[in-house]
Amino acid sequence: MALSARTKVTESESRPSLPKPTAITRNGHKMTNRNNPGFGHGPGLAVRNADALVFAADMYGIQLDQLAILTGGERSARAAVSRWRSLGYAETARLSPGPPWLWVTRAGLAACGLAYPPAQPALSRLAHMRAVTAARLALEATAAYRQAAPFWRCERRIRSRHGIGKTAHLPDAEVHWPDEAPVAWAGECWAVEAELTRKTVARTAAIMREILSRTGDYGCPAADAAVPGRPPRHARALYLCSSGALSTVLRARAQLGPLGARIEVRDLPPGALL
Amino acid sequence: MRRGPAGYAVHPVRRAIARGLWWLARAALVVAVAAAVAPVTLAAAVSAAFGWWRGWPPRRLYAAAAWCLPMVTVWLAAVAGWPVRAASRFAAPPGQSLRPRGLVASQARLPGASPVLPPGVGPGPVWFRVAAAPYRAWLAMWHLAWHGHLLAAAIAAAPPAVPLGIGAGGLAWAYRIFRMQTGAGGLTPAAPAAFDERLWRRQVRTAKALLAAPGALPLLSPNGHVVTGATIRSVRHRAGRSAAIPYTRLRSHQVVIGSTGTGKTTLLLRLWAGFMAAGLRRYADGTAPRPLLVVLDCKGGASSRKVADRARRVLRDAGARSTAIWPDEASLSLWALPPDRLVTTLLDLIEHGTGGAAYYTDVMEALVSLAVFAPCGPPASAADFLARLDADWLSATYAAAGDFAGVATARSGKRAFEDVSLRFRALWRRLGAGLDGGGSFADADAWYCILEGTAEAAVAEAQARALTDLLASYATGGHREILLAVDEFSSVSRRLPIWQLYERARALGLAVQVSAQSWEGLAASDDERYRIAATAEGGIWLLRTPRPGPVAELAGTRSYVDTSRRLDGAGGWDGSGSSRTRLVPVLDADIVRQLDVGQVAYVYRGGVTYVQVKRLTGRQAALAQAAVRDPAAGAPGWAPDGDAPAARTWPLPAVRAAGVPDASEVLDEAFGARRD
Repeated sequence: MALSARTKVTESESRPSLPKPTAITRNGHKMTNRNNPGFGHGPGLAVRNADALVFAADMYGIQLDQLAILTGGERSARAAVSRWRSLGYAETARLSPGPPWLWVTRAGLAACGLAYPPAQPALSRLAHMRAVTAARLALEATAAYRQAAPFWRCERRIRSRHGIGKTAHLPDAEVHWPDEAPVAWAGECWAVEAELTRKTVARTAAIMREILSRTGDYGCPAADAAVPGRPPRHARALYLCSSGALSTVLRARAQLGPLGARIEVRDLPPGALL
Repeated sequence: MRRGPAGYAVHPVRRAIARGLWWLARAALVVAVAAAVAPVTLAAAVSAAFGWWRGWPPRRLYAAAAWCLPMVTVWLAAVAGWPVRAASRFAAPPGQSLRPRGLVASQARLPGASPVLPPGVGPGPVWFRVAAAPYRAWLAMWHLAWHGHLLAAAIAAAPPAVPLGIGAGGLAWAYRIFRMQTGAGGLTPAAPAAFDERLWRRQVRTAKALLAAPGALPLLSPNGHVVTGATIRSVRHRAGRSAAIPYTRLRSHQVVIGSTGTGKTTLLLRLWAGFMAAGLRRYADGTAPRPLLVVLDCKGGASSRKVADRARRVLRDAGARSTAIWPDEASLSLWALPPDRLVTTLLDLIEHGTGGAAYYTDVMEALVSLAVFAPCGPPASAADFLARLDADWLSATYAAAGDFAGVATARSGKRAFEDVSLRFRALWRRLGAGLDGGGSFADADAWYCILEGTAEAAVAEAQARALTDLLASYATGGHREILLAVDEFSSVSRRLPIWQLYERARALGLAVQVSAQSWEGLAASDDERYRIAATAEGGIWLLRTPRPGPVAELAGTRSYVDTSRRLDGAGGWDGSGSSRTRLVPVLDADIVRQLDVGQVAYVYRGGVTYVQVKRLTGRQAALAQAAVRDPAAGAPGWAPDGDAPAARTWPLPAVRAAGVPDASEVLDEAFGARRD
């Protein structure tokens, strides 16, 4: 049922203090279930496809063809974009070849309750953003993901919450699987890396080691970042590679020895490249 | 009835009275002396009782007395240097001799009284002061005690009395042990056995208390020895609190025998961790190459994986950078062997018959040599090797290199290529990818190799053969100090007799640690068993086992005083009897049969030390569980139908998602197949 923005505002104002459904993961993060009907009904978020708006905010920006996957079709995507623009929640521009890009403005971020610094997607990162978005969409489309309803902790959320400096390497995302999820890997935290370009093997192996040996959350005191004896933060790292980066990643994984068993290497999903 | 010196019979009553009087006089003398030196008597009684309670050997009491010597030295120095003249100038009236009176303050204030001197201090030259100090302290002690100053009296007598008392207690305890061990003590002939049993219980209790004390038994002692646990009892070995062996013994051959559930794995883990820690310390000092531990666990199955996980944890704490678990998480490359050695190993991996089968063996040797010594170099993988078993390819290759003898050999054996290729395809399918990777023993500080000796004996035998060849080849470089630990190797030693492994390792400078559940499990024949045990220069560790006899025989004998007692009518045993010396085994087989879990007898150079092993636990809270490999499922990257995978251009170990649950379900659906 399509509700108008006005009607939705009225509903939200009538119950301004409804809490969002959350769960606590093993690493202590609050998880919000996007599949829950109550999600996105907080005060001020008076749009349809609220989860798509939050998705776009999490991913820095999103191209319209990928947004269409979220909204269920190109037509509904254009309608959502139009509405968000009219509310001042989002802006669009043609930043790269292909469909236009959409990013969430300061008002939109405030409406979503997200404290990210608003910014237009950097041109140099567009390809990477698209790749990560495609990876997230592909993973979310699987039956196990829908059944387990894990939490996708995006890089923007990690960076904004903890104020990580640019020198620290952050994964492109973390996937927190709930402890009670009906999957064999319940309770795990995965690091997701999208590799488009070919780095050196040594640099890639160093990043892999850092990810696999990390024990603390990002932004924690340096003394807690990698403490011997504590269980690792990431049970495994998922590397999604372009064809050009694949050989480097495989060689870097081979350098890790037995530790490399916790590295999953896969191809980027179709449509991930700009 | 006995007769006196003149031949007259002595009446039993008179004889008993005389004996009683003699005992009374002797007891009175002893009591008088003990009372006169009461502080020494008290310290001796306490130390002897403590030694009895803790089951200490007398040597430890002597050591405690020796540790008091610094106190005595300081006290004597103070006595010798005390300013007696200055004190007498102020306190003693003219013409009155100086006499130590102790620290009675009231006397010091009296006019014309002697000077106040500390106990033990008095006039005279230095040597006389030192010599007379104990006597003067003894006098002062009694003086103070007489006046009711008991604490001051105890302090006055302590410097000489404490070490003397502890030493005397040690002598008394030693005398008691000697009497009981020779059968001369106790009321009945059964008393020594009961005494020994109770002493063993107290010694075990003391050893366990030492294990429970935090930090009491570090992995390495300050002098770099490997501490295995707390000493329960030692025979012909130095009796210390902790049982420590030098690192050099771990670099020698050792044998470990123990039934299931007796703590063998705990002991082995301790020894391995000690080897690693001590070796790394020597490596850091620059005195030795980096250590390498290779474990061949020939049982296989889930229990071996659990042990491998424990080994990884304790070795990590011992300083090992990495522990590779083969073949679950890491692989080795058989193709790294030198070509001539590779041919021999490949032929050994295939079972041959005898008699007429020798012809086929020769044919196979010729064809394998052709494939390995091809002009383009030795094969780099199993697929490469199998692809070379082609008469046309070999003929073309050798012809291009101008080697027409090789061409002729390839053509003459053309009909046999298919058979040889088939046998090797079957072999590699069974062996899996563990020997076809890109790894080397240099890649890790420790390798835990799991051979499925129980489930697939034939495969495990071939794997054991290949692994030992690889290790031998690696050891020739001399880059590492290697300890090869083999557990239940006899189950896979059909193709490589363990004595051959032993001798080979000795030649290469490897230390071999052979462990088995029983004497029979050491080797296939008794001759081999004795050969292995007799050449264990690093010692034999014997846990509870039902048949310790052969090891006890190898441990040697010691002289033992055996005393008989005369039965005196119906009343009991009198004090007369006879003693004789005889040889008994150093290792008490009955004790070994009754050892508890975690207790081990360490036999070395004609002595034995009974040890309560300190359990070593890794600090890592949660480590990945090794995945149980399903041999029937085949190995990744290898097609059972023999399709050769693409040749690799870089060393790539066979990496599997071991230790984490398989998430292929969701990843395959989202991103397609895994990329290896």
